[in-house]
Amino acid sequence: MKRPRTCRFTCILLLISLACLSLQAKGKPKQKDKEKAPLLSGIAVSADLVGFAMKAMGAKFANMEVSARLNLYDKFFPAADLGIGDCHREGAESGNTFSTTAPYMRFGIDYNFNKKHNGNRLFGLFRYGFSSFKYDIGNPSISDPVYGTTIPLVIDGEKATAQWLEFGAAVETKLWSFVRLGWSIRYKARLSLSHPDGGEPYFVPGYGKNDGNGWGGTVTVVFDVGQNIMKAKNKKKEREKQKNNIYHADEKP
Amino acid sequence: MRQRLLFILSSLVLLAACESYDCTLYNAVNMYGAFYQDGKAVAINDTLTITACGTDAVLLNRSVGTAQLTLPLSYWQDEDTLVFSINSNGYFFQDTVWITKTNLVHYESPDCPAKLFHTIQDVRSTHDFIESISITRPSVNYETTENLQIHLYSASD
Repeated sequence: MKRPRTCRFTCILLLISLACLSLQAKGKPKQKDKEKAPLLSGIAVSADLVGFAMKAMGAKFANMEVSARLNLYDKFFPAADLGIGDCHREGAESGNTFSTTAPYMRFGIDYNFNKKHNGNRLFGLFRYGFSSFKYDIGNPSISDPVYGTTIPLVIDGEKATAQWLEFGAAVETKLWSFVRLGWSIRYKARLSLSHPDGGEPYFVPGYGKNDGNGWGGTVTVVFDVGQNIMKAKNKKKEREKQKNNIYHADEKP
Repeated sequence: MRQRLLFILSSLVLLAACESYDCTLYNAVNMYGAFYQDGKAVAINDTLTITACGTDAVLLNRSVGTAQLTLPLSYWQDEDTLVFSINSNGYFFQDTVWITKTNLVHYESPDCPAKLFHTIQDVRSTHDFIESISITRPSVNYETTENLQIHLYSASD
């Protein structure tokens, strides 16, 4: 049984990125780190570059998704992902075909382990994923090796439903102003998959290649609107403090 | 700045994905049968040949000491007709067996060959040397356990 080699590879990348973030954190002023984030620290929208890049490069399958998330105390990030899974595959030797294009959804939460508000985030993530989709399978000719008969296989519109959980880690850093770049690795565990007898789906939108479990990854561009909200609130606080200081100074004889 | 560049580069490298696929290693679909006489498993010491109607292929050719059978079923036919021929010291016995079944495509992935699974509905014979045939497991798939028990006439008959 073959295993994807992505896991070891992504672990190395994760370590490199963590090292980068820690190095970056050293240079930041300490006063900024101690700021307490407000309850609603903002909203962010993001897009996964991997899926779009795979589709653009003509890959046989891709999950193209966009996400929205809230920033609560710069610690808890409830998130919702909405995407389209696309797969058109033909077996090189078997001649079997599989195709599906269907939406999927994921809900969950990210927890930021970085206590400093220095622009870098180290997330532990959890997601529940769901997809209800139709798929087509076929083969131009299935030959009976003993009886010699050949019949084409055409099964269209098979319905399937899948649910799964994702656990993982993610890192994110500020690129410019409110634009951030991040990536994640995720372990996916399938909860359920219902499909008609005989033709199991090869690909589950949002989950990837159909298996009991697997690994996945994302590279995301994040537009963090929350950063501006935080800044505005902090400025307001500073102004109030300054005003108070002025009043106190005036009261003194 | 150098750290950020490294972070972006590592993100780009992640875009390259690895792929692997697994097919079921034992992917032969056969019907398994065994011979019984007086309630006990036996071997046919005479020469046994099994042919199928609709094909020139010989499913079992001049086998001696046969206790168990491993036979392919047709992919698309609703009923297979098998001819069991026994040659015993110049005597020739022949029994025709009809296996009624349903066929179901088993599709694993685009990379693995599609197979056909079957469900045996009914089995009957001409009762020349076969007394009866009982279905012990109707599903014919990748499993290698017994599907049919072929009961021969008692030795005393």
